[in-house]
Amino acid sequence: MYMVLIVMFTCSQTPQKTGQRIVSLSPAMTEILFSLGARDNLVGVTTFCDYPEEAKRIHKVGDFSHPSVERIVGLKPDIVIVNLPEQLRIKEALEKLEINVFVSSPQSLSDIYEEIAALGELIDRNAAAESLIQYMKTNIKPSEYKRIKRVYVELAPRPIVTIGASNFLNDLLELAGGKNIFSDLERDYPIVSQEVIIERNPEIIIVLHPKDIGDRVGWQEITAIKNRTIIKNLNQDHLLRPGPRLVNGFNELKRVLSE
Amino acid sequence: MNKLLLVSVLFIAAALMGILIGPTALNGEIFQLRLSRVILGVFAGGILAFCGGILQGLFGNPLVEPYTLGSASGAALGGSIGILLFGTINPVFAFLGSLGVGLFVYTIARIEGGLLRDRLILAGVVMSFLCSSLVMVIMVIGGRELYEILYLLMGYLGVIVDSSNRLLIATLIIVSFVLVVFLYRYSRELDIISQGLETASGLGINIQKFSIIIFFTTSLLIGFTVSIVGAIGFVGLIVPHISKLLFGPKHLNNLPASFILGATFLLIADTVSRTITVYELPVGVVTSLVGVPFFIYLYKK
Repeated sequence: MYMVLIVMFTCSQTPQKTGQRIVSLSPAMTEILFSLGARDNLVGVTTFCDYPEEAKRIHKVGDFSHPSVERIVGLKPDIVIVNLPEQLRIKEALEKLEINVFVSSPQSLSDIYEEIAALGELIDRNAAAESLIQYMKTNIKPSEYKRIKRVYVELAPRPIVTIGASNFLNDLLELAGGKNIFSDLERDYPIVSQEVIIERNPEIIIVLHPKDIGDRVGWQEITAIKNRTIIKNLNQDHLLRPGPRLVNGFNELKRVLSE
Repeated sequence: MNKLLLVSVLFIAAALMGILIGPTALNGEIFQLRLSRVILGVFAGGILAFCGGILQGLFGNPLVEPYTLGSASGAALGGSIGILLFGTINPVFAFLGSLGVGLFVYTIARIEGGLLRDRLILAGVVMSFLCSSLVMVIMVIGGRELYEILYLLMGYLGVIVDSSNRLLIATLIIVSFVLVVFLYRYSRELDIISQGLETASGLGINIQKFSIIIFFTTSLLIGFTVSIVGAIGFVGLIVPHISKLLFGPKHLNNLPASFILGATFLLIADTVSRTITVYELPVGVVTSLVGVPFFIYLYKK
């Protein structure tokens, strides 16, 4: 087995027509590449790329916020996938070195589908991309559940970070039968005040950080707090990573919203 | 005593503003929320301005305050180390950071027989930069997001109060008020020291011991404040000047006024920062917008 790996490694060192060398700096894109069957093209990922298991064994070029340009260049990639806005600096550095950059910056579900299609085109796996999109589209569709509930999603408590309109999680939530109380805010990750949350009185609170929120001063009249409809155990990666596992996240949301 | 009345009226107006003005209509729950925010504002603004007044007196330097001296950023650095180790910000670590950086800056600026005015500020500002960078490094290593760092370094009064931090905040506030009273008792010595170190030692003040007491206690206060609301800049710079303008150079008069005016200033700044958008801005953004031009004005004078 080890020998095979070494042989594969030496093979991929020599330039080949098929099989582009891809470095992915986006955990979601890493997952997408795996589902497109492009595992062998992946020569570098970040330490945040932890799914599927196999991704952990791919060469690491740094963490999500601080990938090393040197290590990326050392892998002689044909394409580097960067995430904006977080990796703007890296993108600029790579472009100066005339390395092909594929930008991922989805703000809605349809952006995600478009990016998957564009990536499939780029690495010549159109059919796989198309079937992945179909799989996601058939599984993520409007819930037949009628009663729409006001939902507040908290990503971090200090300062308070939630999701706004240009966030794919906002789309996911609405398809699952919820109404994000901050869908009127343009940003993807707005920082909001406690007062406005209290005024908008969510019926369900989804907490995506480990802190308890039940006994906050001033929050006690919120419907979700009174009814104890605080959802704490959802898998963050299923909701915040714009990749194939959004399907799982969507099903979890639907379950929570229909209870 | 008309001025005292004016200051009190301003303070009450600012506190009322903090409670009445906001993005939502006032009700019982919102009242609790705003009241706790006003308490934090009074505490942080008062303490920072009070410490600013004391440090300006001790160093005989009008540009000194917790922020320009580096001790506020030092506290943030200590606090972020606490976050890395224990997950939450820790007042003891913030105090140690504040004390350590303050002492370091003091050592750099000290020369035979005194302190270099510009060197003190330069060293303070440079150390501030260094601490901010270290805070970034530590928070990133700890897997924290950039906005968390920003709100720690710029200050934020919208802290969520719940059972996990209520007791700690109340204790820190009470201890801080005791420390403020303790420092206030040195008003007379501060008056003499700001006249010049030679006169002071001539009058029998043990300057070294005195400085250590002041430095240690203000570091505690700054550490406590930063550990609750983050490093808010320039309150400690602007307010003592206004206070001296109104109440004269005697610390007995201008220090309490600094406390009240500091609270007033921060409450106004916070009301601005939380009402101009539905988004929350760090309150330090507003205080810096006012503070930096003021600093330049003082420096030119």
